[in-house]
Order: sequence, then C-alpha cells, then structure tokens
Amino acid sequence: MSTLTKILIVLLTISSIFLCGIVVTYVANADNYRQMYDDLKDERDAFEENVKGLTKQLNEKIGEKQRLEDKLNREIASLTIKIEQLQSQFKIVEAEKDDALRRVNSWAAIVRDFYETTDEHTQLLKNTLAEKIRLEAEQIKDRKELNELTTSLEEKMAIIVMLDEKTKRLLEDKAELQDRLDKYLQQIGKRAAELVPVTPKKAIARPVVPPARDIELKGLVTAVDLKNSMASISIGSADGVKEGMKFHVTRGDEFICVILIIDVDAEEAVGVLELIQKQPKAGDYISTNL
Amino acid sequence: MSPNGKTRGGKVIPSNNLYTVILGLACGVVLATAVFVAYMCYFQYRTIFEIP
Repeated sequence: MSTLTKILIVLLTISSIFLCGIVVTYVANADNYRQMYDDLKDERDAFEENVKGLTKQLNEKIGEKQRLEDKLNREIASLTIKIEQLQSQFKIVEAEKDDALRRVNSWAAIVRDFYETTDEHTQLLKNTLAEKIRLEAEQIKDRKELNELTTSLEEKMAIIVMLDEKTKRLLEDKAELQDRLDKYLQQIGKRAAELVPVTPKKAIARPVVPPARDIELKGLVTAVDLKNSMASISIGSADGVKEGMKFHVTRGDEFICVILIIDVDAEEAVGVLELIQKQPKAGDYISTNL
Repeated sequence: MSPNGKTRGGKVIPSNNLYTVILGLACGVVLATAVFVAYMCYFQYRTIFEIP
C-alpha cells in the first residue's frame, strides 16, 4: 500500500467523521416542522370552530336584534300615537287650567274683599260693644249720681220750704212790729229810722269740693279657673272697678289670694290670681281693703 | 486496489489491517449517520423518502 493511499484513507476517514458529525448535529437540532404544522393545524381548526360558533351566535343575535327592532318600532309607533293623543288632551287640560286659574283668582279677590269687609265690621262691632259697655257704665254711674242728687235736692227743697215758711212768719212778725212801732212813735211825734241788716249779704254760692274717701269695693268670687290662674268677680265698671285694681280674696278670717283685674265688664270683671295661699273658690269674699 | 495488495484465490487480502480498520470505522460512522438520519426522518415525518 502506498503512502498516498494511506494518507487518503486517513483523510477520508477524518472527513467522513467530520461530515457525519455535522449531519448528526444538524438533524438533531432541526425543527420538527410536522409537529409545528400539526399544532398550527389544530389551532386553526379550533379557530375555525370558534368562528363557526361565533358566526352562528352572531346570526342568532342579528335575528333577535331584528325582531326586537321590529317590536320596538311597533311600540314606538303606538307610543307616538299615544303621545299625540296626550298632547291634544294636554292642550285641552291646559286651557281648562287657565280658565280655572282665572276663576280662582276672581274668587280669591272676592274672598279677600269679603274678609276685609268682615274684619272691618268685626272691628266696628268691637268698638261699638266697647263704647256700649262704657256708656252703660257711665249711665249706671250717672244714674246713681242722679239718684243721690235727687235725694239731696229733695232734702234741700224741704229745707227751703221750711225756711220760706220761717221767713214768711218773720216778715209777718216784722210787719206787725213795724206797725206797733209806728203807732207808738206817732204818739210821741217821732218816726222810725231805716233798718240796716246786721248780717251782711253772702256771696254767690259755689260748689263744694267733695272730701276724699277711700275706695272700698266689695263683692264675691263668681268663678275660678285654676288651670289658667284666672277668676271672675261679681262687680264691674258700673261699681267703679278698673283695670289694674287689686282685690283681696278672703274666706272668713283667712287670706286666700289676690286678684289683679285685667278685663272689666259692666257687671263683672276678670283677673289673674296672685299670691295664692289657698285654693280660691266661688263664693269667697273680695274687697279692695283688708 | 493497491499495487502492493495480494490476491489469493480471487479474494482481495488487505496488506495492512490498520487502514482496513480505519476504513471500516469510516464506513460505520457513515452508516450510523445514515441510520440516525433515517430514524429522525421517520420519527418526525412518518416517511423516509417522500415529502409529506
């Protein structure tokens, strides 16, 4: 065997081992395209199935949407008709409302005038009643004063009549004495001188100022309202009771309370209970002075 | 064949066993590579000579 042959054998062997190594390395590291293809194919099939399912669902949804659209269109049409009817009714009701408002305003004005008139009449009635009560009180007071003056006048008239009779008797006595004196003086040739009265003439009579006296009003408690601390008494403005007066309530020798008068009528008065020592009741005595 | 080879009864008798072994090793490596490539082709593509 020649040396060249040997060298060729060695080179052939080395190159074979090298190339086989490269081939084995390449084949071992090569990608498994079939596996990749199968995977991609399975994935594509799955996607196609999904697409079919989604397409089916889409078709169903489109059909449902179409049905709903038709239904809603029908409802919209019916509601539009109803809206038109309601708008026409609304216009009618609006007109009726305006008419009713005008009538309400007119009635309100009438009622307002009526209330104002009623208030004026009520105020006038109150004033008239107050004036009536005041006049009644003054009338009763004047009547009392008139009775007292009448009695006093009758007494004075009786005194005047008595004085007239006395004066007449004195004049008769004076005339008789004058005749006797004239006859006596004529016998001695003399004449009686002019008489000068010893008592001087009095001035014109003036009204006498009445002496001051204490107010001493007495009466009875007629009703008691303990809930509101109020009480009414049996005397009123005709007897001289005035607002702000205080009456002492007594029962026998016991002091019960004080009544401060806040409202006075002709024959009765109403007041507030103060300084309550015992519970007052109807029939207790009242007086301004203890 | 080598001019130094001996022929005995029509059969080639190698003159040096060392280079024979080296050639055998080279053939074995090529054969093993071919088997490996065939196995991988069949394992991955289920065929050896066809294009899937």
